[in-house]
Amino acid sequence: MAKAVATMTAKKDKLTGGQLVFRIVIYVVCIFLAILSIFPFWIMLVNATRSTTEIQQHAVSLIPSKYFFNNLKIISGKSFDPWRGFINSAIVSSCATLCTVYFSTLTAYGLVVYDWKFKRPFFSFILAVMMIPGQVTMIGFYQMVYKIHMTNKLIMLILPAIAAPTVVFFMRQYMIPSLSLEMIQAARIDGAKEFLIFNKIALPIMKPAIATQAIFAFVSSWNNLFTPLVLLTDSKKYTMPIMVSLLKGDIYKTEYGSIYLGLLLTVLPLFVIYFALSKYIIAGVALGGVKG
Amino acid sequence: MKRDKFSYAKYGYFFCLPFVIAFCLFTLYPILYTVVIGFTDLKGVGTTTFHFLEEPFKNFDLILHNNSFRVAFKNTVTIWLTNFVPQMLLALLLTAWFTDRRFKIKGQGLFKVLFYMPNIITAASIAILFKALFDFPMSPLNDLAVRFGFLDAPKEFLRSKTVARGVVAFIQFWMWYGYTMVILISGVLGISPDIYEAAEIDGANRTQTFFKITIPNIKTILLFQLITSLIGGLGMFDIPKSFLEGQPDNATLTTSLFIYNQAFSGSYMYNKAAAASMIMFAIICVLSAIIFYIMRDKDEIELRKIEKAQKKKMKEMKQMKKGGIA
Amino acid sequence: MKKKLLAGFLGACMMTTLLAGCGSDNKSTESTTAKDTTEAKKDDATEATEATGDAETTETAATGDGEVVNVYAFTDEVPNMIKKYIELHPDCGFTIKETIVATTDGAYQPALDMALTSGGADAPDIYCAEAAFVLKYTQGDMKDYAAAYDDLGIDTTAAIQAADIAQYSVDLGTNPDTGKVVGLGYQATGGAFIYRRSIAKDVFGTDDPATIAEKIGPGWDKFYAAAEELKAKGYGIVSGDGDIWHAVENSSDQGWVVDGKLTIDPKREEFLDLSKKLKDNDYHNDTTDWQDAWFSDMKGEGSKQIFGFFGPAWLINYTLAPNCGGSAVGEGTYGDWAVCNSPIGFFWGGTWVLANKDTTKKESVKKIIEWITLDCTKDGLQYMWANGLMNDKGTKDAVASGTVMAMSDGSVDFLGGQNMFDAFIEGNKYANGKNLTQYDEKINSFWRDQVREYTAGNKSREDAIKDFKQNVADNLDVVVE
Repeated sequence: MAKAVATMTAKKDKLTGGQLVFRIVIYVVCIFLAILSIFPFWIMLVNATRSTTEIQQHAVSLIPSKYFFNNLKIISGKSFDPWRGFINSAIVSSCATLCTVYFSTLTAYGLVVYDWKFKRPFFSFILAVMMIPGQVTMIGFYQMVYKIHMTNKLIMLILPAIAAPTVVFFMRQYMIPSLSLEMIQAARIDGAKEFLIFNKIALPIMKPAIATQAIFAFVSSWNNLFTPLVLLTDSKKYTMPIMVSLLKGDIYKTEYGSIYLGLLLTVLPLFVIYFALSKYIIAGVALGGVKG
Repeated sequence: MKRDKFSYAKYGYFFCLPFVIAFCLFTLYPILYTVVIGFTDLKGVGTTTFHFLEEPFKNFDLILHNNSFRVAFKNTVTIWLTNFVPQMLLALLLTAWFTDRRFKIKGQGLFKVLFYMPNIITAASIAILFKALFDFPMSPLNDLAVRFGFLDAPKEFLRSKTVARGVVAFIQFWMWYGYTMVILISGVLGISPDIYEAAEIDGANRTQTFFKITIPNIKTILLFQLITSLIGGLGMFDIPKSFLEGQPDNATLTTSLFIYNQAFSGSYMYNKAAAASMIMFAIICVLSAIIFYIMRDKDEIELRKIEKAQKKKMKEMKQMKKGGIA
Repeated sequence: MKKKLLAGFLGACMMTTLLAGCGSDNKSTESTTAKDTTEAKKDDATEATEATGDAETTETAATGDGEVVNVYAFTDEVPNMIKKYIELHPDCGFTIKETIVATTDGAYQPALDMALTSGGADAPDIYCAEAAFVLKYTQGDMKDYAAAYDDLGIDTTAAIQAADIAQYSVDLGTNPDTGKVVGLGYQATGGAFIYRRSIAKDVFGTDDPATIAEKIGPGWDKFYAAAEELKAKGYGIVSGDGDIWHAVENSSDQGWVVDGKLTIDPKREEFLDLSKKLKDNDYHNDTTDWQDAWFSDMKGEGSKQIFGFFGPAWLINYTLAPNCGGSAVGEGTYGDWAVCNSPIGFFWGGTWVLANKDTTKKESVKKIIEWITLDCTKDGLQYMWANGLMNDKGTKDAVASGTVMAMSDGSVDFLGGQNMFDAFIEGNKYANGKNLTQYDEKINSFWRDQVREYTAGNKSREDAIKDFKQNVADNLDVVVE
């Protein structure tokens, strides 16, 4: 009897011992991964403030130095123009985001609220084309754009955002439970026009979904390299990701500090967005599962 | 049915019209155009006029026998596999830890934020950053390796094909495991707690609950992740392009990069690029079909089946009645 | 709270966008306002090709005084020359808008090709082409876009004679269909061997160029014998195999493509063995040209000290001098260099200046091109270029005009006061331009990649050649047998 009790307590002790190891392992792994996430960016941040000579002596340092403005001067003296890239990317991404969320909500509304003959086939169609990546259509797209002389036009990076099947799908899923048809009916009786009902009633209700999708649309548009790379050849129209590619060029080969600074400038806006909205973004990922 | 009531159906068409127009202009038409170009002799910078080939499938044939294309396809699949398997395993492990019912990890929120972070940063920037990290002779990695005595002298890591490919896979892994984890966690949280409670009462341990309950319940999500990741992986462009441009010895050449190189550099062979695009498109279509099958609205299909069955019954009954009268 | 933040953020983005749309770009060198309106009207590129000689219908808003000349280049060299011209001729009546795309990863050519074929107000009026791809723009796929110098109003034949322009520069710049000159260079890029005086003294007992030239050449056998001597004292003869590649490439008899077929000239094929020999005997630091390690060797900071580099005069100005770790004698390797004849004759690089045949700014374009390529007076670019009058640093370069070279002095501090023109004029004899093709940049990168694989021991010699051919066949419109 006593023996049994003893083994039981021992078992319990062992359990807590194992428990402790288990916890330590978890935290060690998590902290390691966290460092892995931060480390490259930290190096980038620190080296952006260090001079080329300092970096050449020791490429890793945890302490920032004082050459930030010097590096800034070097970098702005060449064809790399982060400010221009920022403006172009901001124009493209903001407009594309607006197009995506507005027209996707509109399409979802058309799918949810109205009963029309081709509604079901249309929805199936959206599901079917959801996964088509831009790369496979690019040759035809480029030839088309080239023929109508619209290369180097930012608008050609914006308009295609109107048709975003994944976002329509997401909006529809969100709209079905949250939009009450009675409310729409009531508004109709009050004499409101359909389009007005959408703008005044549906859009506000969809706000949380719109916000989530807006972030993802914005980020994926901001990060897109392929389409701009094909369409834009005028350096004045370069978006941020193309601007970044310039950092690989000969002109920077030996300006280590400036390369890191250039990288920092290109990702800074994204860090600001991310840390301001991280909870929101992660909730959005969990909700949508939509790949950017 | 009732003619006197105002029909709103036209608004359905009207509201979906912008989407349809944009889709036709910017996706459908380009796809068709690409298909057409695949059968022509369209090449050379600035060329827009073309003639159909006498042997219509010549471009496709050339691409399928093109060694670089094969290498590129093999690389793409290899890179995808070496990133997806560890990515999924790690994400599953973290999911198991983060959803553990007996032990809540402190700072979970922060960890999630940090793990997901690389996903949101421009892939091109990340690739260039990694190139700088691995550079020769003076780069952070070389610096650390020499300082801590792993290497006697700086090494030119990226000249090795395995390392170059491995780094591309690692970047991909590093950017996406946090994302996969967040999705999986949300999937696990969606499983009814009752099932877990029942398992706990039955005395199931962590491992058992994970394999017997968690995994089967998020099967669909796992499959969905697999396919979306595969489609994304097949289109991989930003990282290999910004990282090493497919070097060394075509070790990091992916199919997208191959297509880009065919069409937008050297001899500007739009026709061959179009043919290669269509081959990729066909593969992606098959994968999409699987997704489509998973994602279709099951309840609705059930409902329609029932409706149909009822109608059929009614019809049959009517006919039977008719038959009976006659 | 978060929602507000988000709304605020998106709002801020929109604001930035709007502001950017309104008030950006007031830089003096460019006029963006006219672009968007005019570009929509531009002609079909193919149409424009057919209608040679017809005036372009597109017009920039700015004409006369405010004329903006679009310049496409892969370094800031030519744009800076034009700026200098404007500075010297304040009443010239034009400004420039420069587009500089580095040639890295072949980014420059697609950008230039698009700009030329798209036409319109953004099209380049003047564009530059490097030796590695100049043929594409003068004799290859893009030749129809280049204007004959004659059509700009230059009396080309007479001017070339007066300036005594190097023949290869003319050859490469001549359109074979019309026989007219469409592009000329301003440099002479005959190559020499540029070596460290201190190492020469240590190993060979002297730093005299004539003696050193005897030591390392002529021919590769003597070169490798010298490499062995250098190795005995712990020095490498060159930094990487890229250094000898440029000498090999431009001393070969045939180019990569002959009659549309891929051809590997025996001299180029020998590069495999030359490179392997360097690697196996540890004669170099195994660097890749234009990469960090290569630059380190110029400072003398590589894993072993490097004796020298193969190159034309521009390599001294633009690569060795800025990377030598100093800017006066005694700092870094500055002043420790000398130039002697190369073991094999070669030339490397050079920039050709071309004009778009659809340019609407003929008068300005003519002034610029004439000044850069054909003006052999002391006010012309080439005289200033050869004598270091372009900038405060006083960097000197060999130029295309023999007339100018005859009245210039090439002694510089960087070379310890040596007159570098002696060696470089000798090198010019070998420059012929007959072995270049329009796909050189791309084919060279395939070749170098495979050679690296071979020398690293990853592949057999046969496999390297086979894979090289395969890559060319797969990626270019060239027949491979």
